[in-house]
Amino acid sequence: MSDDGKTNPNNHAAWIIGWFILDAVVALAPPIYWAFDRNRTAILGLPAVVTYFVAVAVFITASIVAAYLAEARSGKAG
Amino acid sequence: MLITFGAIAIFFAVIIVVLQLSGIKDRDFTDYAVGGRSFGARYQAMSFLNTWYPGAMFTAFGGMAASAGVISFYVLSYSLLTVVLMYLMAKPVWIWGKTFNLRTQPDLLALRFGSRHIRTIAAVVGIISGVPWLVLGMQALGTLFQHMSLGTLSFAEAVMLGVAVIALRQVWTVRMGMRGVVISDMAQGIVAYIIGSAVLIGLIVWMVLARGISFDALDQKMFAIPSVGSAEGPLYLFSLILTGAIGGWCWPYIFVRLFTADGVESLKKSAALAVPLSLIFGVALLIFGMLGSQVPGVSAHPNDVWFIVSKEAGGLWLLGLAGVIVLAASMGHTDGNIQATGAQIANDLVGNYWQLGERQLIVIAKLGMLALTILSSWLACLELPALFSLAVLAYQGIIQLAVPQFLGIFWKRGNKYGAIAGMVVGFVVAVVLELGYPGYLPWAYGLTSGAVALVVNLTIYVAMAYLIPQSQAERRRVEELFDLIEGKRSAAAVSKGVREPA
Repeated sequence: MSDDGKTNPNNHAAWIIGWFILDAVVALAPPIYWAFDRNRTAILGLPAVVTYFVAVAVFITASIVAAYLAEARSGKAG
Repeated sequence: MLITFGAIAIFFAVIIVVLQLSGIKDRDFTDYAVGGRSFGARYQAMSFLNTWYPGAMFTAFGGMAASAGVISFYVLSYSLLTVVLMYLMAKPVWIWGKTFNLRTQPDLLALRFGSRHIRTIAAVVGIISGVPWLVLGMQALGTLFQHMSLGTLSFAEAVMLGVAVIALRQVWTVRMGMRGVVISDMAQGIVAYIIGSAVLIGLIVWMVLARGISFDALDQKMFAIPSVGSAEGPLYLFSLILTGAIGGWCWPYIFVRLFTADGVESLKKSAALAVPLSLIFGVALLIFGMLGSQVPGVSAHPNDVWFIVSKEAGGLWLLGLAGVIVLAASMGHTDGNIQATGAQIANDLVGNYWQLGERQLIVIAKLGMLALTILSSWLACLELPALFSLAVLAYQGIIQLAVPQFLGIFWKRGNKYGAIAGMVVGFVVAVVLELGYPGYLPWAYGLTSGAVALVVNLTIYVAMAYLIPQSQAERRRVEELFDLIEGKRSAAAVSKGVREPA
């Protein structure tokens, strides 16, 4: 599709912005990752520290996919 | 050797056939530099991945997972966070790009800050910073070809062969410009990240089931994250992820992906398509690397984990496929870098000061790409002991473009004085700190030089924004730019003077 700027303001829904901010918090906040330092307790079959990174990755991935699906459905993706 | 080099040769030939069949003819410089803004979401997604993840992912980051363990996951965190930034930037950058026919990252900075000189500064920083990484990428092919030769070639001979192959590949990059890059990215990306992920998962299963390898056998240090009391400092990981995420968009060859899409929706959809692939590939690679550290021979050569485990599990056929996958990833990254640099030489350096026609711009871009290919190929064949340090230094420097880039897109205040002064001072601070404290700053709790310099840079940008308010005319000009994004003004209604005045 093309977009000449005539349509749609740049506003993302508040929940999308909120989720994106949470993405940054879970990935970057030092106290969270400090808590997993050397933690090998098995969570979902993986050491806790590995599960932490995988969970952060899944959380960020889900935020982008959900944002796109929601905006595409409401016609705000363009 | 026949099997491994045969696989490489067949893959190379397939890519060339794909490019030849695409029959690309560029009508103007916009076609050559950004593919005429014609690519849909699937091409965009694969092109982003193929440029973002170099072949060194399999060697350097696979090796880091094998030697240092879980800290290597920082690459996945920042690679996914950077897609969040892509999602947020998609609309403003694409709309400005389309409306004002922007072809490079410095074009956008020049438009936003109304300054042609910022275009030159950003281009020089981008081009100089990119060269060490280009050379490193070429040298990394030495590892690939040494393994493909089953140890017959010396490392120096393997580097020369790798350089020759990647330099030959650039014939089509130079000829076909961005369309060639994006079309080949699709084929290369499928091999590198879809087939690559499948092979990684298969190798993990093989290690667990056939070799009985599990996380239990790994040393405790493999699960360490620099925390309070660590040697690196408690903010080291924070700094790596932050600078990785925002710094990614400072590379010209990554940023230009935002101009190649056929619309905002394609860009957003490409983010949604790329991010699950990135997740699967990243998780598989890093878990593979950690488990692979238990395979005999890997602890002595962790950067070879991909080749060692592939050969162990599947013999020469799988080793050949492993080589093809690394080559596919390397090609995409190198092509993107060379193409974007050529476009910058023409558009932002030469074209910034001389009035050039479309054909002249294309010719200069091609000559620039040719010169860069020759220069980097030559450098790659030399022994340059400080090359990696130079590359790290370049990275800490180039991320200083982030402040004017992101604030320029998301904040109406801010002016060219703050943008240029912040960027230049930030660059100098980053270089000085990195030379004094390579890696991280012990007195800053493990922050990297680039992160500290970003704070200085940001302070200058914000201070200048308030100390030197925009003139009435400049405020109106910037308002018009943002009106476009917000849909308050159509492209046809933009005043003539909105493009940078001088």
